[in-house]
Amino acid sequence: MDFDDDYYSGGEEEDQMLYTDDDTDAEDFDFIDNASDSSELALSNRHHVRNYTVLSESDIRQRQEDDITKISTVLSISKVAASILLRHYNWNVGKIHDEWFADEEKVRSTVGLLENPVMEYKDASEATCGICFDTYPSGEMLDAGCGHPFCSSCWAGYVSIAINDGPGCLLLRCPDPSCCAAVGQDMINLLASGEEKEKYCGYFTRSYIEDNRKTKWCPAPGCDYAVDFCGGRGGGGGYDVTCHCSCSFCWNCTEEAHRPVDCDTVAKWILKNCAESENMNWILANSKPCPKCKRPIEKNQGCMHMTCTPPCKYEFCWLCLGPWTDHGQTTGGFYACNRYEEAKADKEFQEAEQQREIIKNSLERYYHYYERWATNQSSRQKALADLQQMQTVHLEKLSDLQCQPESQLKFITEAWLQIVECRRVLKWTYAYGYYLPEEEKAKREFFEYLQGEAEAALERLHQCAEKELEVYLNVKDPETDFNCFRTKLSGLTSVTKTFFENLVKALENGLSDVNAHAASN
Amino acid sequence: MANSNLPRRIIKETQRLLSEPAPGISASPSEDNMRYFNVMILGPTQSPYEGGVFKLELFLPEEYPMAAPKLGRICLDILKDKWSPALQIRTVLLSIQALLSAPNPDDPLSENIAKHWKSNEAEAVETAKEWTRLYASGA
Repeated sequence: MDFDDDYYSGGEEEDQMLYTDDDTDAEDFDFIDNASDSSELALSNRHHVRNYTVLSESDIRQRQEDDITKISTVLSISKVAASILLRHYNWNVGKIHDEWFADEEKVRSTVGLLENPVMEYKDASEATCGICFDTYPSGEMLDAGCGHPFCSSCWAGYVSIAINDGPGCLLLRCPDPSCCAAVGQDMINLLASGEEKEKYCGYFTRSYIEDNRKTKWCPAPGCDYAVDFCGGRGGGGGYDVTCHCSCSFCWNCTEEAHRPVDCDTVAKWILKNCAESENMNWILANSKPCPKCKRPIEKNQGCMHMTCTPPCKYEFCWLCLGPWTDHGQTTGGFYACNRYEEAKADKEFQEAEQQREIIKNSLERYYHYYERWATNQSSRQKALADLQQMQTVHLEKLSDLQCQPESQLKFITEAWLQIVECRRVLKWTYAYGYYLPEEEKAKREFFEYLQGEAEAALERLHQCAEKELEVYLNVKDPETDFNCFRTKLSGLTSVTKTFFENLVKALENGLSDVNAHAASN
Repeated sequence: MANSNLPRRIIKETQRLLSEPAPGISASPSEDNMRYFNVMILGPTQSPYEGGVFKLELFLPEEYPMAAPKLGRICLDILKDKWSPALQIRTVLLSIQALLSAPNPDDPLSENIAKHWKSNEAEAVETAKEWTRLYASGA
């Protein structure tokens, strides 16, 4: 084993050399190296030029610090005052410059940066706190630059309540109701407890992302990264971004990445999926309530003799919902219910049944698309897990067993990355398909053709990467040469990629090729 | 006894309310709970409430003055998000008195009365005078 370990580490070093020498492959090496957290990042890199930046908490702090320094230097004000200004102007440096140099006085009074105190108490030996009404030596009193004196314990209470009340504490003013003087971070540091200071700093960092139209938090639960988006749409990648936490999401609507389907369609689809009403409709269309306990019962096969689940155990006829004990010779036999036939002749009964049929059809259509959407979703999750397994365990094993340097196994990783991406695209095309109007026959046909071709290619690729690879993981000298497998998988990867690129392009153009084609005819 | 560790701020405010009351306003603490005040506000002159005596109950919560006094269902910003510990019982009561002089039908307690006030102010004023005579004449 020791020998093996040495052998591998040697091999890895060699690979590293290979990759660093090769510019185009450097990214892929990176990917292999940090398999667990950057797989999707590498994936998105492959497809388009990045028009966004992922920001860590320290990046955010650095940017804030840079802005504060800039404003502080240009306006010749303290850093605390610069922070107050930036916060007030939602971190818009340009706007602060414009307004400050147009009317400094006005900016100062709206933001609460007083040049001189509105009253003086420091000259007197004592002053009365405006909150507790106690008298203290003037030197022990504090004010927000306005000269309204409050004692430090009342200040601490005031600051504490504001911080625990939420991000509004960033805009805190002097407690005097007539005074607009802003309370800056210097006061907070002096007065707040450790925990409160931490909270305040958290709000301060958050404000940079949340008050800025160009930045958003990554929506993944527990993720602390933010994304700064600098491109407009049509920069090649649409709005899809991938965070360092590997979450891919749409920057515009913060739902998961859904290219080539637009945000509106996605929103409609998600709303539809989570609408409880869909479930209710299904229950209504496919079940009948037990005549005794009223629980909904679905009948999927078998005879009309129903027995409700315990504890109810009521026995009844599915057709007429009457008690089973009444059934027999008199009702035309156990399996054909005359009572039902009679009732069916009734007009009202027919209408109810028709309604049930309509609902059922529309539901079946929805379930057709939903099932495929959901299956591709879970298939993608599985592929992501397989990809990781491949990188952490299998590639090394494969390299050993088939005597291939890991650098020569990149094609496997690329195949899996392609699968993951295609499952995502395919999944969203089902939401697209659901909303594509039935009457646009030519478009539907074209869409279903493209989708079908892409899906078939993907299935072949997935099958090959999943099943055919297994042989080489277990057998040293398989029947088919490993190089044949390499050629096959690489070929499938490239073919699938082309199919999906065509599909994405066609959907992003709104299937306009169909119109052009129809016009030329 | 709850009154024994009453903050100095409350004691001082109470003393000032008793020794220099604001015109048309009286506020006196209850004997068994110094945080509980019985308040009377006279209807401002030249308002429909003139001649009326309006009784209120005011309570100072444990957090006072960091939290606003409790005063029933009155829509007043300084009793909610605009409260500042530098405000006092006196300022709150003066604000309520001012509200009687200039009612704010855009932020009402009773939707119906506000609608009446906005559609036919003269008639609403008459109703206010009538109700003041009937229910707030101090008898």
